[in-house]
Amino acid sequence: MPGYSEFYFNVDHGYLEGLVRGFKAGILTSADYVNLAQCETLEDLKLHLQTTDYGNFLANETGPLTISTIDDKLKAKLLTEFHYFRNHAFEPLATFLNFITYSYMIDNVILLITGTLHQRPIAELVPKCHPLGSFEQMEAVSIASNPTELFNAILVDTPLAAFFQDCLSENDLDEMNIEIMRNKLYKSYLEAFYKFCEKQGGTTAEIMRPILEFEADRRAFIITINSFGTELSKDDREKLYPTCGKLYPEGLHLLANADDYEQVKCVADYYGEYKAVFEGVGSGTGEKTLEDAFFEHEVKLNVLAFNNQFHFGVFYAYVKLKEQECRNIVWIAECISQRHRTKINNYIPIF
Amino acid sequence: MASVFRSEEMSLMQLFLQVEAAYCCVAELGELGLVQFRDLNVNVNSFQRKFVNEVRRCESLERILRFLENEMEDNVETVKLEKYPETPLPREMIDMEVQNLEQKLEAELLEANQNQQTLKQNFLELTELKHLLKKTQDFFEVRGLFALPTDIFTAGVIKRERMIAFERLLWRACRGNIYLRYTEMDTPLEDPVTREEVKKNVFIIFYQGEQLKQKIKKICDGFRATVYPCPESATERREMLDGVNTRIEDLNTVITQTESHRQRLLHEAAANLWSWGIKVKKIKAIYYILNCCNIDVTQQCVIAEIWFPVADAGRIKRALHQGMERSGSTITPILTAVHTRMAPPTFNRTNKFTAGFQNIVDAYGVGNYREMNPAPYTIITFPFLFAVMFGDCGHGAVMLGFALWMVVNEKSLLAQKSTNEIWNTFFSGRYLILLMGIFSMYTGFIYNDCFSKSFNIFGSSWHIIPMFKNSTWNKDVLLDNTVLQLDPAVPGVYSGNPYPFGIDPIWNVASNKLTFLNSYKMKMSVVIGIVHMIFGVVLSLFNHIYFKKYINIILQFIPEMIFIVSLFGYLVFMIIFKWCHFDVHSSQSAPSILIHFINMFLFNYGDASNAPLYLHQKEVQSFLVIFALIAVPWMLLIKPFILRANHQKAQRMVRDVDQARGIHHSKGKTEETDPKTRSELEPGVPFIGQVPGRPLRPCLCTVISYFVILLGFR
Repeated sequence: MPGYSEFYFNVDHGYLEGLVRGFKAGILTSADYVNLAQCETLEDLKLHLQTTDYGNFLANETGPLTISTIDDKLKAKLLTEFHYFRNHAFEPLATFLNFITYSYMIDNVILLITGTLHQRPIAELVPKCHPLGSFEQMEAVSIASNPTELFNAILVDTPLAAFFQDCLSENDLDEMNIEIMRNKLYKSYLEAFYKFCEKQGGTTAEIMRPILEFEADRRAFIITINSFGTELSKDDREKLYPTCGKLYPEGLHLLANADDYEQVKCVADYYGEYKAVFEGVGSGTGEKTLEDAFFEHEVKLNVLAFNNQFHFGVFYAYVKLKEQECRNIVWIAECISQRHRTKINNYIPIF
Repeated sequence: MASVFRSEEMSLMQLFLQVEAAYCCVAELGELGLVQFRDLNVNVNSFQRKFVNEVRRCESLERILRFLENEMEDNVETVKLEKYPETPLPREMIDMEVQNLEQKLEAELLEANQNQQTLKQNFLELTELKHLLKKTQDFFEVRGLFALPTDIFTAGVIKRERMIAFERLLWRACRGNIYLRYTEMDTPLEDPVTREEVKKNVFIIFYQGEQLKQKIKKICDGFRATVYPCPESATERREMLDGVNTRIEDLNTVITQTESHRQRLLHEAAANLWSWGIKVKKIKAIYYILNCCNIDVTQQCVIAEIWFPVADAGRIKRALHQGMERSGSTITPILTAVHTRMAPPTFNRTNKFTAGFQNIVDAYGVGNYREMNPAPYTIITFPFLFAVMFGDCGHGAVMLGFALWMVVNEKSLLAQKSTNEIWNTFFSGRYLILLMGIFSMYTGFIYNDCFSKSFNIFGSSWHIIPMFKNSTWNKDVLLDNTVLQLDPAVPGVYSGNPYPFGIDPIWNVASNKLTFLNSYKMKMSVVIGIVHMIFGVVLSLFNHIYFKKYINIILQFIPEMIFIVSLFGYLVFMIIFKWCHFDVHSSQSAPSILIHFINMFLFNYGDASNAPLYLHQKEVQSFLVIFALIAVPWMLLIKPFILRANHQKAQRMVRDVDQARGIHHSKGKTEETDPKTRSELEPGVPFIGQVPGRPLRPCLCTVISYFVILLGFR
């Protein structure tokens, strides 16, 4: 009876939905950002954040504030909230929340492998991992020398195993292969997540569909743009595109044949929303980068999730918006500490 | 009217303080607690205010105090003084920073902690090694039995919960080419950083080849397992174990010494921690207030705007004078009145007796400035209504005893400064509980109920013997029936003089006790509840008269009264009429009030089974119902339209004024810049706030309590 989920949604998930909506009210508003951007020092920033829902999250820091402490604390706060959700969640919300963490797990695995490839000690790399995506076997990732070994020895016990089927090969792990592996993992992850949301049906599917479609298409665009000038063949490139987006199948085919940025832009022109995104991008100093434009669109989609009730999309949206907020605060903090005030307003306001 | 019944008169004044004296003056006002400062810098960011650095210093002091408190945990008792320390002068903050906290205590404590941590880390490693050496001995003995070929091995210690994943990963990564043994370590260890207990396992891995060694080393790193060097021969192991044991002993003495040094530091801090905490809080509060003030152009004086009760002007001036003297300044602070259209804050002065009642009223909502304060009436009505429901003099006495104990020992209990939330709730309501106890005993006597038993003080007015006299009852009747009913119509059964106080005790043995008492208590509750509601509505009349809102009297108060009196007031009348009109002899023919009341709304007077109460009942009741029905649209429909018309008129005037001045219409700006138009707007503004909310509140409270009573008896 997925169509009538609103009748019994609150039985299992009502509390958490209420909670996440309460947390959402704590997301910084554009007025807060205006104030933050006026700060002269990081101490000012801390003082202003104290007046928001972040409260005393920096109050016990000794010594001068650094951006990395701010970043860690912001992430730690999100992590506490997320763990609270996860610990109180029932199925299928629990699986949904797990799916959210998988993307961070993929990023962490890739980060660790790349790090070890560059001979960095694992102790230096672990703090750089996103805490949402940490898992037990994570730190042992460095022993693997090729994807098959990585899978057989380590990832087979993790939830990521299901996404790994496409990446099994005996190739050595070099930078190119790692990148290919990341994209293949991400592709299977997105497709699995999309399928899961479709299975939930109802409002969850309705809300998550555009978000995940956009996520898939964004990856396709970025893979294409990043692959220019590398030895990645066009066929291989097409294999990396997630197939759950709006671009599938014609758009992806066109993208696979694109040779430069202009041609990518032409593909985007066929799709209303992406056309708008690409048009917003400028090459000048004060103008947005493509990445920012995509982030902005993502924020817009995530904010929309809060307009509907009785669905899981709010959890995804909340985590993503909070992550964007962390990026914004860190950006502003960077600008303040480097005395680079001209770009301070390049954050992406949420509400 | 005396200010008990209304909130106090307030006045807004501008306060000019000399910069040097400002701190002390605000401190004195803070101790007084009678002044509300307006934030004059609403638009200024918190970090752009004048005294932001001072606030920040206070915060850093607070952080240190928190750190000290954490360090103390439950081991060290902080000393709490009888009296709160006085507000410190600004220079005391520097003293606190430099001498006591930042430089001395915090630094020393941090150093001690650091030392302790390294020592403990060493200790942990040595203990692990000790266990490892012992356990490996066992491993090797087992291995001796299996007679494995000599090879290389790695031994280490890992957290117990990671063991399974570790083992599985090792197996997978090395493709089964290793031999792993592990045992649980018997004694739990202490983590040097978090000071939590951790349980660990000792493991030993046998393998062949350099490549596997590298791999295993990486996996151990990944799982945060500590690998220790372990000699191969048994004698070497024994020697090493001896060495480790002596080192552990040495370390133990050093650790005890550091710990005692740390404790000494903490005890030193504990003596003052509490008063430091209060002092820092006071300083921070003062700077917070100073941040709300303006500094004038010449940087010579601080300008604050304060609300305070007119009656306390003298005390405030005295406090300001004291502050001025304390700071050694010679210029007296200047107070000048400010005329404003702002709504003043509501201030109800309370004492220890009324505070509890005021709290209950405020829980429903704080009234507007100078509105009637229902708290004085609540002092009686609330405990009394409670008692009507509670109604048992035995339990009431227990409650009274508890309340009396709290009231008598008030001072010593207050001095304890308990933080227990439940206790504090009871204690702050001690006078409420006292009155509830007294009234419960009273109603308990009325209900003649003491731990559900009755008193028979005056002797019952009912007698059984007369029932036998005219042989209504005889031996056969007694033997045949299990239940018999006394008939008051038989002369002598009821003496004619009711029991002097409360319910006749004979009801306690009656089998229809509950039916009788329920009916009695129900009717009594309806009477009390409706009187209470009418009283609430009458109180709103005083508000309307005071605020000169005659429209509210005509369109709200009068129809409300008509509605409530003609329906529920009539119900009360019927109850009392029935009590008075029917006596023993006619009681069999007494009609049901409930049916009458229902029929009244249905205009149904043909019910033969329910005789009319009195002559012309039909005419009276029809008139009352129709009158009440008329009151409904009168009450609900007309006022919104009048207010709407007023609002539109005001809007038109705003527009006219704007056009006359040639200003482009911009709503936000005109309202701010033009006080005249604002005042015109004001009758329209309450439209949203006033109609459903405020005047109904006293009424609402009574309705709620009324329903509580009804539910209590159902």
